Amino acid sequence: MIKKTMLALGIFTLLFPVMAFAEDPSAATLNMGLNSLWVMLAFILVLLMQGGFILLETGSTRMKNAGHVAGKTIFTTGLAALIYWAFGYGMAFGGDSGVNALFGWGDFFFNPSISAAEGDSFPSTVFFLFQLAFAAVSLSIAWGGFAERAKLSSYIVFTVFFIAIIYPVVAHWIWGGGWLAEDGAQDFAGSTVVHLTGALAAFAATVLLKPRIGKFNKDGSANEILGHNQVFTALSVLLLWVGWFGFNAGSTVAIGDGFFGYVAFNTMLGAGAGGVAALLISWAVTGKADITTMLNGTLAGLVAITASCAFVDPWAAVVIGLVAGVLVFYSVKFFEKIKVDDPIYALSVHGAAGIWGTLANGIFATQLLADKVGVGTGGLIDTGSWKQLWVQFESVVVVGAFVLAASFLVLGVMKLIMGFRVTEEQEIIGLDLSEHGAYGYPEQMKKAGQNIQG
Amino acid sequence: MNDPVRLQLLKQISSVDHVEGLRNLRDQIHEHMEALLPTRPVEQFNEQLNEVHDAVIERSVILAEAEMARMGKGSPPVPYAYLLFGSGGRKEQTLSSDQDSGVVYVDPVADSADVKIYFKELCEIIVQNLQHTGYPPCEGNVLSSNSEWCLPLSEWAAKLDQWFEEPAWEAVRYLLIIADGRCVYGEKKLLDELKDSFFTDMLNHPIILQRMLDNTLRHKMLLGFFGQLLKEQYGEDAGSIDIKYGAYIPMVNSIRLLSIQEGIRETSTLERMNMLVKAGKLSEADAAIYGGAFRLFLRLRLMTTEQNSDDLYANNGKLSSRKLTKEMTDELKSSLRLGKKLQRAVLKQTMGRLT
Repeated sequence: MIKKTMLALGIFTLLFPVMAFAEDPSAATLNMGLNSLWVMLAFILVLLMQGGFILLETGSTRMKNAGHVAGKTIFTTGLAALIYWAFGYGMAFGGDSGVNALFGWGDFFFNPSISAAEGDSFPSTVFFLFQLAFAAVSLSIAWGGFAERAKLSSYIVFTVFFIAIIYPVVAHWIWGGGWLAEDGAQDFAGSTVVHLTGALAAFAATVLLKPRIGKFNKDGSANEILGHNQVFTALSVLLLWVGWFGFNAGSTVAIGDGFFGYVAFNTMLGAGAGGVAALLISWAVTGKADITTMLNGTLAGLVAITASCAFVDPWAAVVIGLVAGVLVFYSVKFFEKIKVDDPIYALSVHGAAGIWGTLANGIFATQLLADKVGVGTGGLIDTGSWKQLWVQFESVVVVGAFVLAASFLVLGVMKLIMGFRVTEEQEIIGLDLSEHGAYGYPEQMKKAGQNIQG
Repeated sequence: MNDPVRLQLLKQISSVDHVEGLRNLRDQIHEHMEALLPTRPVEQFNEQLNEVHDAVIERSVILAEAEMARMGKGSPPVPYAYLLFGSGGRKEQTLSSDQDSGVVYVDPVADSADVKIYFKELCEIIVQNLQHTGYPPCEGNVLSSNSEWCLPLSEWAAKLDQWFEEPAWEAVRYLLIIADGRCVYGEKKLLDELKDSFFTDMLNHPIILQRMLDNTLRHKMLLGFFGQLLKEQYGEDAGSIDIKYGAYIPMVNSIRLLSIQEGIRETSTLERMNMLVKAGKLSEADAAIYGGAFRLFLRLRLMTTEQNSDDLYANNGKLSSRKLTKEMTDELKSSLRLGKKLQRAVLKQTMGRLT
């Protein structure tokens, strides 16, 4: 036995002599390699969040639309990759444009170098992938406003405009060296850039589409259109939660001194607090511990802590999460009251909590952490200054106005030219059948379909 | 207060000889009582209303007996009692209550199969008559026309024993239904004997109380953590408060459970409270405040949304908050708080008895 081993080792030494003489990699190369791995891992986690959106949207809607809802997420993520490669990345992070404060210009049909250049902390390829995954998340949030009644073609058209222009412009303003970045707007992983942007696109869509058939009664009261699978919805929250560690902690885009661990730590606290607060407020106000509200609360905690996870102390992360959990409960009530149909609760979870999370920086950010991240200053509590809160407020308002205007324009023109909503018959039969010709749950839906057609 | 119109209608009910006429009279009395509702104290109104319902039901039974005779099926072969359960049993029917009924008859010495068939056919006609008169049948099928609820005394006793032996959830529910049973027509003695079995079984199966307690406290008072009313969130009734299941039924259940433990045979909730005072289980002061709260629930329940359809009088037990004035809301909240207090007291007292 020993003999055989020695022989094998001897042969290997002869075959691969280079291994014995290879030079040790430099510290810089190791550092680059670790960072790249981390960003790559974060990209994978954020991409996997699409699985969360598939389950979230499917679970929160009805059986007759399940296949459509699930399938279109995969399709639009693929389309988003192509559009982001061709245009979006260049608008967000491309070289100088004449108006660099407003958008980037360059690197269209992005053709990256095959490895990291000397002195880079990671290759641009992983950065591209990471940013693409964020854009795709924002897009999937927007789909919440389309759910159960938009034509398949409208998904395609909106993907093009959202990924090529709307999202990249906002990303450029805050992360790509645009004018809000220069003002010191703090949005660590995208409460505004990703979540608020997606939610406002969803808002524009749901307003233009009008509520689903049967959501509101003539007297203005709302009906509860229950999703068909609460287990999917709960599982989606777990998938998103796990993915969020790529989203937030990955946004350090560096291993460095291990700061990403702190970001992840705050993220966990925010999520926990959001879920707890939502369940308690639901129980206290309605007498029932509503599961959907609790799930929304957890997501709202995550959305809110996204902007602030690198800027605040742990206690503040808990407070931010708690407030987000309560906020999302009342926000859902509010949108129902003004008769805006929000099937997936995107407006409340990503919109209201996204605004809160962004503003929370202005209140809770500490000078120490702001200096560490290198963006903006400490907030109201730490510094006593209103400056950062004002900057945060400004970024919410400006981004909000831009995204709303752009989304209404794109979707409004689309509605005029090609139509946005399926016909009443198609909506009642379900989009699985009307848009794709087959049900997601053929056995269960067959009977219902026959009833409608017969 | 004497009400000549009502007395006149009562008199007509007791002599009407066909179902259409009875229906017509019920419509008149419904209209009449509806108009009276805001003007009368609720207890008196409730009493008068239930007197009318009793008269209509009694007449329906008599008409059914006559119909059976006309069809050549003869008169009742043995004495029987026509029983009301639910709100009818408790003398707490609203303007639009449904039918919950049963029959107990004397054990026949011979031809028990024929007797069974006779009562089955009779009850089918009674239930139909009442349906014509606008009373929807019980959704849970607690109806005299259901052969499970139309039995001779000995079979009833056996059934009760079985329920007590195996107190599954449904059996406990049935036992609590029996506790509210009241004879509206026929031999009252038969019901007394049925209740004798019931209370004997109660004494022999003290453990049943635990199951009854679980069932009794299942419905919660609709008062939130902040002392706010818990209203319907969604649907046509959004903003309404479920008076029936969120205020009235929890109180009925609580008082019923206390009464069962004392062997009290009264079925109306207010009478049960009086008997509890006499038995020393409820202080005069408590009975007064709980009674006040219950009267409010009765009043609000009479104001709940009507859902008349297919010529049936029905309501959903829910009160639109538009009908609630500020004062009524405050009164309702404090009454619901009392209801919660009563539920806690029932829990404490019953658990104390069990240990």
